Amino acid sequence: MSRYIATRAIRGSNALVAEAEALLKQAVEEKGADTPVAFPNTAYFLPVTFGMLAHEVNTLGDLEFSLAHAKKLLHPLPEDNLWVPYLGETLDSGMATLLAAEAIEGVRFAYGEEPTLYPGLELAGSTSYPQLNGTGHLNGPIDDIQLRSWGIQLVDGRMPGFAALVGAAHSNEAAVAIVRELQRRNILTFLCGNTNGRSVIDQLHEEGVEMGYDTYIVPFGTDTISAIYPLGFATRSALTFGGLKAGQWRDILIYNKFRVFAFVLALGEVDDLKYAAAAGAISYGFPTIADTVIPEILPTGVTRYEHVISMPWNEIEAETEEERAAKMVQRAIEVRGVKVKITEVPVPVAYGSAFEGEVVRRADMRAEFGGKNSRAFEYLLMAPMDEVEDGKIELIGPGLDTLDEGGSMDLALVVEVAGRKMQEDFEPVLERQFHYFINGASGIQHIGQRDITWIRISKAAAEKGFDLKHFGDILYARFHADFGAIVDKLQIKIITDPDLHAEWLAKAREAYDFRNRRLADLTDDAVDTFYSCILCQSFAPTHVCVVSPQRLGLCGAYNWLDCKASYEINPTGPNQPIQKGQCLDDDKGYFAGVNEYAKMASQGTVEEVTMYSIMENPMTACGCFECIVMVIPEANGVMVVSREDPSMTPAGMTFSTLAGIAGGGLQTPGIMGVGKFYLTSPKFVSADGGFKRIVWMSSFLKETMAEEFKQVAEREGDPDLIAKIADETICTDVEGLLAYLESVGHPALTMDMMF
Amino acid sequence: MTVEIPVEKWSGKVIEVALGATAEEGGTRTHAVTVGGQTTLPFLHFEGAIPYPPRIAIEISDQRPGDWSPLLLEAWGDVVKDPAAWAKAAEEAGAELILLQLSLTKDGDTPVTVADAQAVTRQVLDATGLPLIVFGPGQVDADNELLVAVAEEASGERLLLGICEEKNYRTIVAAALAHNHLVTARTAMDVNLAKQLNILISDMGLPLNRIVMDPTSAALGYGMEYGYSVMERLRIAALQGDKMTQLPMLVTVGYEAWRQKESKVGVGVPEAWGEWEERAILWETLTTTTLIESGADIVIMRHPEAVRRARVFIDRLMGK
Ligand code: SF4
Repeated sequence: MSRYIATRAIRGSNALVAEAEALLKQAVEEKGADTPVAFPNTAYFLPVTFGMLAHEVNTLGDLEFSLAHAKKLLHPLPEDNLWVPYLGETLDSGMATLLAAEAIEGVRFAYGEEPTLYPGLELAGSTSYPQLNGTGHLNGPIDDIQLRSWGIQLVDGRMPGFAALVGAAHSNEAAVAIVRELQRRNILTFLCGNTNGRSVIDQLHEEGVEMGYDTYIVPFGTDTISAIYPLGFATRSALTFGGLKAGQWRDILIYNKFRVFAFVLALGEVDDLKYAAAAGAISYGFPTIADTVIPEILPTGVTRYEHVISMPWNEIEAETEEERAAKMVQRAIEVRGVKVKITEVPVPVAYGSAFEGEVVRRADMRAEFGGKNSRAFEYLLMAPMDEVEDGKIELIGPGLDTLDEGGSMDLALVVEVAGRKMQEDFEPVLERQFHYFINGASGIQHIGQRDITWIRISKAAAEKGFDLKHFGDILYARFHADFGAIVDKLQIKIITDPDLHAEWLAKAREAYDFRNRRLADLTDDAVDTFYSCILCQSFAPTHVCVVSPQRLGLCGAYNWLDCKASYEINPTGPNQPIQKGQCLDDDKGYFAGVNEYAKMASQGTVEEVTMYSIMENPMTACGCFECIVMVIPEANGVMVVSREDPSMTPAGMTFSTLAGIAGGGLQTPGIMGVGKFYLTSPKFVSADGGFKRIVWMSSFLKETMAEEFKQVAEREGDPDLIAKIADETICTDVEGLLAYLESVGHPALTMDMMF
Repeated sequence: MTVEIPVEKWSGKVIEVALGATAEEGGTRTHAVTVGGQTTLPFLHFEGAIPYPPRIAIEISDQRPGDWSPLLLEAWGDVVKDPAAWAKAAEEAGAELILLQLSLTKDGDTPVTVADAQAVTRQVLDATGLPLIVFGPGQVDADNELLVAVAEEASGERLLLGICEEKNYRTIVAAALAHNHLVTARTAMDVNLAKQLNILISDMGLPLNRIVMDPTSAALGYGMEYGYSVMERLRIAALQGDKMTQLPMLVTVGYEAWRQKESKVGVGVPEAWGEWEERAILWETLTTTTLIESGADIVIMRHPEAVRRARVFIDRLMGK
């Protein structure tokens, strides 16, 4: 905590509490303690006081209790030579400031001095004051009706949050630019305070900006004290929507911290009182962003991220005031953690998952990228927050118009992502989405990934105006919409320039390589968390996939990283972390945490489950398995049948018959459904002898995974192993199988007996 | 020989949810209707507590329903044109709750407005003292717009507002929070989806005792056994102690039963199907009684005779 800020906040609060006391004393003397005090059209008395102390203020006399409490919260100024963490004292001072400010507004209402008069101002919707006819005054506190109507929008997410502007902007132009930027983002704008006598309200009024409920811009008052109204609004939100009761102060603050996305923009010089008020806002979890040089409070704690940020207006790099405003608001949004919402993908062709399977034939093709005649690749990388400008989409190099009909060109899609919850591990998970996202555009075909990407744009799509830049629009919109939980900002480079293309290709390949190695290093032993997948419980109610780094989900669609990312994105979704807990049996893969989870999620059907054995408590299967593994006792090994293989197997059953036995969420020792990449894992039925147990395998697998299996064979120390495994072209019965295994000397025959 | 009845000791309990607020509680209902509270499977009185019977709600509509079977319209007669009168008739027919279904349009194609929705809610509230359930037309924008207005009009009445679904629940929940109402959470026949939606809604700050779940039902012959099994599993999970499944369940049996050919079509069907009206009533009754056996706490019905029969069934099961 900055000692400077602490000193000034404490000083500010001491002064304000003293001022409030003096005012109150005078008011009681002049008007009597019984004089009514009320904010109009609200059932929450003086809301901050009510929320904090459960104290109902109805009269001037009632305010004495508030101020007595405020005094208890005051602290002496930090001594010059003593350095302690001042956060506690500063926050106390903030609270004292709020009580005092609210008391002062209460006294003003008693005198009829609130709302503040403002000749010449017409509000477009405001709290109604019958004696004032809705003209020539500022708004004062927001009434309960408006609270509910905006509250619903804040709670359901249509409105991202509110911004309290305190002071006066650098110029009228800057004031308008900031407010327009907030409006553009649907953020409620509250105005209060002044800097050297000039208020942002004056600035907007001079520029003819319409204010009032209808324009989502509420002018509260021209002094800092009126900043109590936004906080009163926040307090009442918690009472109304959080189901909280007056006096549950801590809960009210927590509610605001996690659910009300508000922030303070301190415009112009920050005096003691503004520091004190900012300290009050920090307690709610609302950070302050100042447009002048002030000390920052960066470490997080009370607010979600940073507490106080300084962004001197003149130092913001930008050409125009609008750009500066945009950058400042963007920064405020980041600091508060407000998320951008994009619902539509802005491309000139139809967009939706219905178009994913579309094929663009050569004859219908406007241009292609990748394939035989050119190289296309895609690369998503994580970048630091301040190096990513959200929404920036650049086309670097020649465009589509330079290509002949049916022509081909090198292309790179490079996406830089920043996010507070982003992890390097999520890069490949997100990068894989390019395929689905781009394919969603009608008339665009996307195949492959990494540096074997192959994209075609159809003539029809090009005629409708689809251009290279639209790849960026698609990725931008979809990543925000689908992965907003981990992606805060992204910028996109679409590169056709040959030199830059080559440069990025080299970087991308380095990254692919790094990721491959990372995946190889990612072992079950190296992590302490596995993930569950219960997506398939809709039809197999007791089935749970336990996904570990070395054993992917049996449908092949979810590996450990996918589950991890999916959990970040959707914490209540089907992928939940499972703490491995105590390892009960290293060999078979019994873990206390896994057993516990499986029992809970299978509603008690599965009591124990092994990660690495087919013989003992094997994992259940729903029905989505890519392959079925089944023990062939006579051969002392297992066979693997793939879904693509319709033929008879040595077990005397075809895949579809076997599927009936393997599926349904039951544990059947000796048979198990798996994802095909699990076959290559060193943990593949490792308790039962591992890959060498495979005596028969559908030829489809042998062919499509030849490369992978070759490496496994080498790892197992038997380079000819794959040839020793029978398939349906060799035999489909046990006798034939045994004869073949004998003839090739399959290792299973001499391994330990499985039974 | 004496047969020993096995008794299961469940650790969980269904949450008690009270619909409707009396004057004391800040509303205008003559009494509240509570559901839930079970500590055992349906009607195993020897095993645990079943403090409240399943409740029958009768569905009425803000407009004369254009897509209802002529049998239903005939059974209710003229009141279908007047929601207030209909609500009274429904109360007389044995309803413990009234479902007011809002429509998307009136007289052909003018949209139902916020004012219309508020007015009809007020009329029904004035006409009956029963707690009210209000469903939006089932189209996201209209639902949000109309239900927010209804919530405001009936502030404090503890209405049950529906329908919250995963793709659209936030606005309805926010309105319920603001005006002290309840919501119903609908998911498509899936235990985990139901749980997830309950979590999402309670994450917004609505207490669990203001949520009723609608696991989606189907009619006899149209997948009812699937719905039955999902409801049964939800209830077992609840009794096993899984907090997010411990909500009472509501099913729209009338809607399901009356959109099937067996109840809708009177001519050109096999003779063996029997007399049309009796068949249709049986269809709704059997769908209702079966889903009650699977754990339904609120059944939303349409035909007065089916209601009468279901009532007899419930009374017997509750040992009356
Ligand atoms: S089969 Fe795939 S989708 Fe189904 S539960 Fe397992 S991992 Fe999840």
